[in-house]
Amino acid sequence: MSLRGVQGSGEHGRVTLDDVEGFARSSAAPAIVGGRARISPYARRIAVERGIDIRELRGTGPAGAIQARDVLSAKSSVPEAGKPASPTERMQRTIAAAMTRANDEIPHYYVEQSIDMGNALAWLRQTNATLSVSERLVSGVLLLRAVALALRKHESLNATWQGAEALPSAHVHVGLAISLRGGGLVAPALRNTDEGSLGELMSRMTDLVSRARAGTLRSSEMTSATITLTSLGERGVESVTPIIFPPQVAIVGCGATNERPWVVDGQVVPRPIMRVTLGADHRVSNGHQGSRFLTTLDRLLQEPEKL
Amino acid sequence: MTRDEIRATLLKCLTDVAPDIVNEEIEDDADLRDELDLDSMDILRWVQGIHKALGVEIPEEDYGKIASFEDAISYVAARV
Repeated sequence: MSLRGVQGSGEHGRVTLDDVEGFARSSAAPAIVGGRARISPYARRIAVERGIDIRELRGTGPAGAIQARDVLSAKSSVPEAGKPASPTERMQRTIAAAMTRANDEIPHYYVEQSIDMGNALAWLRQTNATLSVSERLVSGVLLLRAVALALRKHESLNATWQGAEALPSAHVHVGLAISLRGGGLVAPALRNTDEGSLGELMSRMTDLVSRARAGTLRSSEMTSATITLTSLGERGVESVTPIIFPPQVAIVGCGATNERPWVVDGQVVPRPIMRVTLGADHRVSNGHQGSRFLTTLDRLLQEPEKL
Repeated sequence: MTRDEIRATLLKCLTDVAPDIVNEEIEDDADLRDELDLDSMDILRWVQGIHKALGVEIPEEDYGKIASFEDAISYVAARV
């Protein structure tokens, strides 16, 4: 707590414990002003998960903003045992069960590669400058398509584990991990991700994300992915070490694209570099195959006009 | 068009994109990415919604100028 503004009542104006406690009480601003709450996304997420009404909280952050500690110290209204769980709770339990199973049963291995995204981002800027607002592309669609095309060449990663063996998939259905602001996570499939134009794929991705946010995904979309792409780069993390969604046998995680020193033609230059991680099932493929997949992915992203 | 009308329109477009954001919780100075948890896909869909509702086109190179809700209101107000 900052002592700026605390009036000292002690000898020679010295600040006493009473002064500090009195200042703390008087400066505890209401978290909701004019009907609007100041609350961080993390604190809001915890409040939703715990069923806490933020209107009943007093924030201890700047200008009375509600912080995570305020939510954590509040009394939870999460249903007790025996009471029906909320949709978010049910989703969390499903995710927990799938991830526990994946961690217990799948012998993961990981390979990573730093990819120069300079060509892809430059192409995206140039292309978007020629498109109408409704047709613009995001970098995520390039990643989706590149992963899908790379899988055509590395079929061992595009399969599902059934009983005691991996069954290759005849089609490429990349699942897109989408985090929900209420705290859930879904990874619906974009079917035949390797087909159609980039514009069509962008349209389908936009529709998928909209329906994920609205909670109107079809059950078939939730179960048909043959691999998953998770991108946490926009949240600032440099790399992701993802866990495979069973019965899939591989997952691709992308970190942030940041300017890094990079050697081009013998010269060190700043380039936008993204760290990509492949997590795969060692019962089905090995590190050599995984490395070749990432090399193919890198090559594809160097020629974005061909995606 | 008044600033309040622009704010209301932008808010409607935003809640269309992110229905899980409650209108009353949005502070005008809220950072769209850090505080409202929007990603590039959300921002694009919001920009598309603004274009459809008000006819204002926000080019990609200007995304930095709409970092907060208040920035976006000012940006649109200068062009509508």
